Amino acid sequence: MKELDDYKYALDESAIVAITDPKGIIIHANDNFCRISKYSREELLGMDHRIINSSFHPKEFIRDLWVTIANGKIWKGELKNKAKDGTVYWVDTTIVPFLNQEGKPYQYVAIRSDITQRKLSEENLLKSLKEVSDYKFALDESSIVAITNQKGIINFVNDNFCKISKYNKEELIGKDHRIINSGFHSKAFIHDLWITIANGKIWKGELKNRAKDGSYYWVDTTIVPFLNELGKPFQYVAIRSDITLRKKAEEDLIKYSSALEFKNTQLVDFCNIVSHNLRAPLINISMLIDYIDQSTDDNERQIVHTKIKPVVNNLMEIFNELVESIQIQHETGIQADKVDLKNCLDKVLIGFETQIREYEANIELDESEAPIIYFPQKYLESILINLVSNALKYKSHGRQPRIKIKSKKINDTVLLSVCDNGLGIDLDLHRNNLFKIRKTFHKHPDAKGFGLFMTKTQIESRGGKIWVESKPDKGSTFFVEFNNQNI
Amino acid sequence: MTAIMQLTLVDDDEVFVFLTSKMIEQSKLVDLIKIFDNGYDALVFLKENLGNIDALPDIILLDLSMPIMDGWQFLEEYVKINPVIGKKITIYICSSSISPVDVSRAKAIDEVSDFIIKPVTKDKLVEMIKNL
Repeated sequence: MKELDDYKYALDESAIVAITDPKGIIIHANDNFCRISKYSREELLGMDHRIINSSFHPKEFIRDLWVTIANGKIWKGELKNKAKDGTVYWVDTTIVPFLNQEGKPYQYVAIRSDITQRKLSEENLLKSLKEVSDYKFALDESSIVAITNQKGIINFVNDNFCKISKYNKEELIGKDHRIINSGFHSKAFIHDLWITIANGKIWKGELKNRAKDGSYYWVDTTIVPFLNELGKPFQYVAIRSDITLRKKAEEDLIKYSSALEFKNTQLVDFCNIVSHNLRAPLINISMLIDYIDQSTDDNERQIVHTKIKPVVNNLMEIFNELVESIQIQHETGIQADKVDLKNCLDKVLIGFETQIREYEANIELDESEAPIIYFPQKYLESILINLVSNALKYKSHGRQPRIKIKSKKINDTVLLSVCDNGLGIDLDLHRNNLFKIRKTFHKHPDAKGFGLFMTKTQIESRGGKIWVESKPDKGSTFFVEFNNQNI
Repeated sequence: MTAIMQLTLVDDDEVFVFLTSKMIEQSKLVDLIKIFDNGYDALVFLKENLGNIDALPDIILLDLSMPIMDGWQFLEEYVKINPVIGKKITIYICSSSISPVDVSRAKAIDEVSDFIIKPVTKDKLVEMIKNL
């Protein structure tokens, strides 16, 4: 009997204890019960147990509890109850039915322990977990997300990442992130990115990536390093948004504006040609005629008269050159031919046979890196004729002419270089005029100032470029860049 | 005008040089005409005769569009030697260019007295020489 009392004492000290009759009327409440429910014992005794009901649990849950204990079985569970002041508390509850001889419960003993703190932290945890998963959902819906480990190996990609990169998840997980590297950005740029995130800092920028099918896409990118306890990144979360359309629009704008700029330059050049090159011979003719009109010396009139014809011829020549150049500028629809550089050069060199033999010129071709150039055949021939002709015409007086022609493939362009060891050009003086009409740079009787102008017109009409590097008395190298060579 | 008047033509246009020389000769205002067909040769001559008042011209008629060294490049170099040249030389640009860009570019160079657009008549020539 003493032992039983001791048990009861121990229970009362440690637990919240209440006893109700079969109908749920409280017939006993210990101090712990009063303390947690904030009711006095007098207020509790004789009251329905529902006095502490918080209405938190669904009806089915409560019914299940009653069914269990009414059947004489022990019920265990967590209950949320309401104290007198309206605050709620959680209790871990065991309800033990005391049975009479017929096996029917005649009272219920509820033994509880306070688990409010634990339930609160659980609730908060759930709440923040839900918040996090809501955030993740929103992020996944809106952005392209990938997570890599500290070495750049992909651990996670979301659906948007797969959609834009055209890889499926299996193809990406476990792969180096460089799988989508486009090769567009400089090494220094990529290096800077890695340094930033490896130092635990956030990196932001615009990246051009390559999808599985080889197409490119632009993404506005934020890479957030996740740090371990030591402050070292253990993974990187990259959040991106597709800006391909914007970048494309930007690129188009730059393309259009530079095309416009180019057209404008052409227009200015054309005005200059009209102003200088066409007007000059016209003035000559007008001055010659005025002179003849005013002169009284027949002999002198005869001499001056003979000067008119060459000027008219010169005017015709310039006029025809100009017409030809304008035709080229408008022949943009002309088809590119697949030209074998070696064949083309061989054909061109036939025209220079005499000069080559006379000067003992040495002409080398290295077309191994780019044997084929896609360009209108007649233009390419004309370009080679002009460049070879110049290299021979402006040979050095002492050196045997040596002309090296080389083609090189760079991305989708072919760079053709024609290098000579001739007189060279003083680029400090002539850089701006080199490719202009009727500009000459050497005292050579055959220098007319038309070849390079025409060459430039032919190249630029196809969107290519021509430029020169030169040192006086060392030689010149002309470079021609042909674009769109990946046909 | 007691001193010997010297005029230099820097122009590669043979017809213009021929006619202008003839008109200047007929005006009898100039004692000596020198002709260079590009800026470089003219510049070399000036450099070789720095301070040599008898050899240097009083007036230069300068074309703009020329081979080897054009009028602009000549002026660029001339501006550098002007302080040590030792003689006041009046420079007229004589060009067939009607480009306003050329005109305003010439106006910005102090050493250039005027920009004459070709054709140049005999009367204009006489006026230029007498105005010195």
